[in-house]
Amino acid sequence: MPDSAVDPVSAAVSGLLPDGAPAPAARALRLGVAGPVGVGKSSLIATVCRALGAELRIGVITNDIYTDEDARFLRSAGVLDPERIRAVETGACPHTAIRDDVTANLLAAEDLERDFDPLDLVIIESGGDNLTATFSPALVDAQIFVLDVAGGGDVARKGGPGIGRADLLVVNKTDLAPHVGVDVAQMVADASAARENRAVVALSRTDDTSVAELRAWVLGMLNSFRSGTHVAQDPGPMAPHFHADEDGGYVHSHDEGQAHDHAHTH
Amino acid sequence: MLLADARLPSGGHAHSASLEPALLGGMAADAVPAWLVGRATTVSLVEAGTAVVTARLLGGSRDGAGGPPDGVRLADVVRAWAARTPAPALRDAARLLGRGYLRLARNLWPDAPAMRVLAAHDAPHGQLPRAVVLGAIAAATGLPAADTVRLTVYDDAQTAASALLKLEPLDPLAPARWVLEACAAAEPHVPRVASCTTPEDIPASGSPQTEGWAQAHALLSQRLFRA
Ligand SMILES: Nc1nc2c(ncn2[C@@H]2O[C@H](COP(=O)(O)OP(=O)(O)OP(=O)(O)O)[C@@H](O)[C@H]2O)c(=O)[nH]1
Ligand SMILES: [Mg+2]
Repeated sequence: MPDSAVDPVSAAVSGLLPDGAPAPAARALRLGVAGPVGVGKSSLIATVCRALGAELRIGVITNDIYTDEDARFLRSAGVLDPERIRAVETGACPHTAIRDDVTANLLAAEDLERDFDPLDLVIIESGGDNLTATFSPALVDAQIFVLDVAGGGDVARKGGPGIGRADLLVVNKTDLAPHVGVDVAQMVADASAARENRAVVALSRTDDTSVAELRAWVLGMLNSFRSGTHVAQDPGPMAPHFHADEDGGYVHSHDEGQAHDHAHTH
Repeated sequence: MLLADARLPSGGHAHSASLEPALLGGMAADAVPAWLVGRATTVSLVEAGTAVVTARLLGGSRDGAGGPPDGVRLADVVRAWAARTPAPALRDAARLLGRGYLRLARNLWPDAPAMRVLAAHDAPHGQLPRAVVLGAIAAATGLPAADTVRLTVYDDAQTAASALLKLEPLDPLAPARWVLEACAAAEPHVPRVASCTTPEDIPASGSPQTEGWAQAHALLSQRLFRA
């Protein structure tokens, strides 16, 4: 939706100022959590709620595909008032609901923010999709892309918009690494390289140090959102592509609002 | 006609226009073409009549039929629509769709008087249903009443047809034909519905079976679509 075209009336609805500038402090940080099926998105949200529920006012929206199971899982986890967890139907298109037509999710976020005003954080779980599913910046202010070690050590290297350019990449279930023959340090190093050093957290819900790291990242993001220094990024539907040149080429990633670092050669 | 496109980012992709409730409620898949025709000549006309009366009220009528009598307000139209749509699940779903359309329409026609009226109404009276917002869009764009009827019927049929492909295995070409047949079946009703001027004129041709299926569907924990 072209944010620059909103009038004051819709601005009140969408949380945008008439000139299209974000009004960050006016509402909760909307944080997307995406990633393939079963990597631990719901569990990660439960972990965040457990780690921050005492100091932040949190709401959660789930996008299930066939059922409202994720919402029910989170409600039964007892980490948040069940009323603050809402499920949204996606018409069998989880990808569409977070990217091409975010209406249902936006309305649900507005409702949560209105019903539990004021909220600090609204977490939106994407229905488990594939490696290309990322959130539109029209829906979320920041997003986490989740992989797990059980999906194999190579996945991080293979890249994709979420892996490459989500605000945070989580390599989840590190406790399983020895059982699936994955070298976590190597997987994180591959991921960091694919991400040109954007944030990566190696997480296991049973490893308190990693949970603390995730918690600190969320608080840091909330701070920069509130102070207006964070600009929502669109990881984009397109993977970074390689341009050959005499020095061996460079990876061209289409991040809006960031200078392309063409000096970066491989 | 932009509005009638299911790819419009207004939230319609999560709705099935009562089709999923019907199939889960036991309707056979091979009854879908007949069901589409039935809908286009009953439930869809309630929606279409509501849109037409709204458009007249908001001053968009360009076909000389005149507006509703003085003293009729948007709330009266909403009430007439609600009385003809008894299932709360359907009214809730229609209001959700209305919000999505309104959000989009305010962006596309921010200065249209009809949009301003809706915005002013929305706050004190709660969310407006899809048919009312469609009517306001018709007013904002000067769409003739007959086309408003056709648009509303088509939008409904196409929403169901798109959902059908997610619900039943079939050749995607088949529902395209059924949508055309449903729209053709509605055609004899177009002049009558297009001539509605007061809330009382809105057809009361709802479908109790659809209402019942919608209520049952809203209680399920396994569904792809909102309604
Ligand atoms: N060993 C281990 N298992 C985990 C961890 N986090 C989640 N799991 C398990 O992984 C499975 C999937 O977790 P979910 O949180 O439901 O994953 P999801 O990504 O939300 O799944 P979908 O919503 O179905 O795509 C469950 O059996 C969890 O118990 C972890 O840190 N370690
Ligand atoms: Mg989940």
